[in-house]
Amino acid sequence: MTLDSAPDVPRAGFNFDNCRRNAALLQGGFKPPTTTKTGTTIVGIIYKDGVILGADTRATEGPIVSDKNCAKIHYLAKNIYCCGAGTAADTEMTTDLISSQLELHRLNTERQVPVVCANNILKQMLFRYQGHISAALVLGGVDKNGPHIYSIHPHGSSDKLPYATMGSGCLAAMTVFESRWKPDLSEEEGKLLVRDAIASGIFNDLGSGSNVDLCVIRKDSTEYLRNYELANKKGERQIDYRFKKGTSATLHTTIKDLLITEKVQVVPMEVS
Amino acid sequence: MGPDFDFTDTPVSTGTTIMAVEFDGGVVIGADSRTSSGAYVANRVTDKLTQISDKIYCCRSGSAADTQAIADIVAYSLNYHRNQTNKEPLVWEAASEFRNFCYNYRDSLMAGIIVAGWDEERGGQVYSVPLGGMLTHEACTIGGSGSSYIYGFVKEHYRLGMEMEECIDFVKKAVQHAIFHDGSSGGVVRIGIITKDGIERRLFFNTESGQSKIEGSQSFLV
Amino acid sequence: MNSFGIEQFPDYKVPGVQHVDFSPYESNGGSIVAIAGDDFVVIAADTRLSSGYSIHSRDQSKLFEMSSKTVLGSTGCWCDTLSLTGLVKVRMQMYEHTHMKTMTTDAVAQMLSIVMYNRRFFPYYVSNILAGLDKDGKGAVYSYDPIGHCERATYRAGGTAGALLQPVLDNQIGYKNQNLSADQLPPLTKERAVAVASDTFISAAERDIYTGDSVLINIITADGIEERKLQLRKD
Repeated sequence: MTLDSAPDVPRAGFNFDNCRRNAALLQGGFKPPTTTKTGTTIVGIIYKDGVILGADTRATEGPIVSDKNCAKIHYLAKNIYCCGAGTAADTEMTTDLISSQLELHRLNTERQVPVVCANNILKQMLFRYQGHISAALVLGGVDKNGPHIYSIHPHGSSDKLPYATMGSGCLAAMTVFESRWKPDLSEEEGKLLVRDAIASGIFNDLGSGSNVDLCVIRKDSTEYLRNYELANKKGERQIDYRFKKGTSATLHTTIKDLLITEKVQVVPMEVS
Repeated sequence: MGPDFDFTDTPVSTGTTIMAVEFDGGVVIGADSRTSSGAYVANRVTDKLTQISDKIYCCRSGSAADTQAIADIVAYSLNYHRNQTNKEPLVWEAASEFRNFCYNYRDSLMAGIIVAGWDEERGGQVYSVPLGGMLTHEACTIGGSGSSYIYGFVKEHYRLGMEMEECIDFVKKAVQHAIFHDGSSGGVVRIGIITKDGIERRLFFNTESGQSKIEGSQSFLV
Repeated sequence: MNSFGIEQFPDYKVPGVQHVDFSPYESNGGSIVAIAGDDFVVIAADTRLSSGYSIHSRDQSKLFEMSSKTVLGSTGCWCDTLSLTGLVKVRMQMYEHTHMKTMTTDAVAQMLSIVMYNRRFFPYYVSNILAGLDKDGKGAVYSYDPIGHCERATYRAGGTAGALLQPVLDNQIGYKNQNLSADQLPPLTKERAVAVASDTFISAAERDIYTGDSVLINIITADGIEERKLQLRKD
């Protein structure tokens, strides 16, 4: 006997039905399809009046670039944004999920949600999934306690830092911060530093590339600077590759008459 | 090193040196500040001395994710009991709670924890909850990967009945030795002194003077 | 041994003893394109040398001038490339001393195949494309697999972006899937071959993370070898 009153409605949460089957297939030498990884450079810093987040815009599937201009800085709340590295689907769904939870929390408490709250929900979710959700995050925001940057690892540990980097380009970006970050940077200095950190990831890490995205979060305003800088220009081709008419072979032609019938139905409308 | 090489995939662990010593009237706890992920130092200013209640702290070693999760749960639980009973939690109660989690989930956790603090009943106390989930009360204990380098130092220099400042100096020196010899321990030495008045934090930089070399506001260190 | 009952114990890993997993191969990336015409041949290769997610060099030529009429493009495991091209150069010099003449492109092609098959069970992990003028002065392109299979073609792409570029060459040089009469199709001039080769690299740098920085183009004619260089994106 089933107690499920609506068996057709799928249950909420993850579906693990295929786990056993997939494990068996894997043992038989089956190669699973690759997921889109954002082999990434993502960073965040605290500056004088808030935080600045930065990200590159390349998404890869193995050695192939699958998206040349993707957005890796995700919205969580008005005062909180989050950069994601790792499996693209995981970072996107995780941040979306937490974003909706934060909004509900804000409506329940009738207060701006603090950044620690986002950090707690994220780390508790990632810990529950024991690292199977491959999301490495740099969380940044400003609340009544001031600016905050957290770096959150896929297994659910988090660090509160003045400057953080994540993703495959984190070494390249961290070298920039370790040599040039200092307390109380101005906004201009901060943006330049984050730009340089991301650019260092873009040029020196093969998993990162294309453009620089920035997000500046101040005490009472945020500024999402999508494609703040186009770090790379596409080369100009020498030949025009448009095909002449008739290039594609026509194997056979069939012409069918379309019979169009029209029925006009008058709908009464209010005219004011 | 294939194209899918990414050390953010390796679990983050606090390859650590942690330590706690009792003295008459309180405890001194100490830790290094390195968190590594494989060969990469994920955080060089980590605070491994984590608050559980007003006068109870724990020193975390092992998987960062596991120890942070347990510490959060225990802190929540003790806070709940404090609100229910209107009494400050005992250090032993905190340690016992840690033991329960570490023992029940011993197969899936990587956590070696030292619980230390002060309570009205028994004053300053140090408890050790190592990997398998055992609970022991000790006057002086060390933990983490760096501890193996300082067993000799601790055995030679620890005496029962040391004064507070003596204890602080002892913990500082021990952790500094461990940082020197252990590759996965490093950074600064963080120390906490818990007495009936609460906690006092001290920070010793890895410089000749023990002071910071960064100019301007030091607020980011807290 | 039976009396100890040792066989009943499970196999524990002994601490301190590590089984070294030695992997002699590494993929250092890079792509090659070669296009042969009636009296010329164009061969191009990018200059990025990388492994994993890091770049070793942004300015490493992968084209080796074997003679005034023959150029070998080689990518894959860079140490194997160096070792193989070194060996081929030695063999060519020996040939020159023995026979008092330079090896023809066709002879080099045949020898390269033999040298590679020599290592049938521990192969050179390389993707080779040989370009040159044959004994009649016609453009020739030879492509290889890692263990020495050799095939003459008129155009060929190899390396990490080989699979991306070959269909473009099939269409633009081989005029595959273009249902036009010969007079409607552009003739394969030297300029067109160079343009198509460099354009394919611009596209490859967009999508292949191991191809980029710059592309070196060698144009081989009876007059000699002309070298050109084109900048690619550096990310």
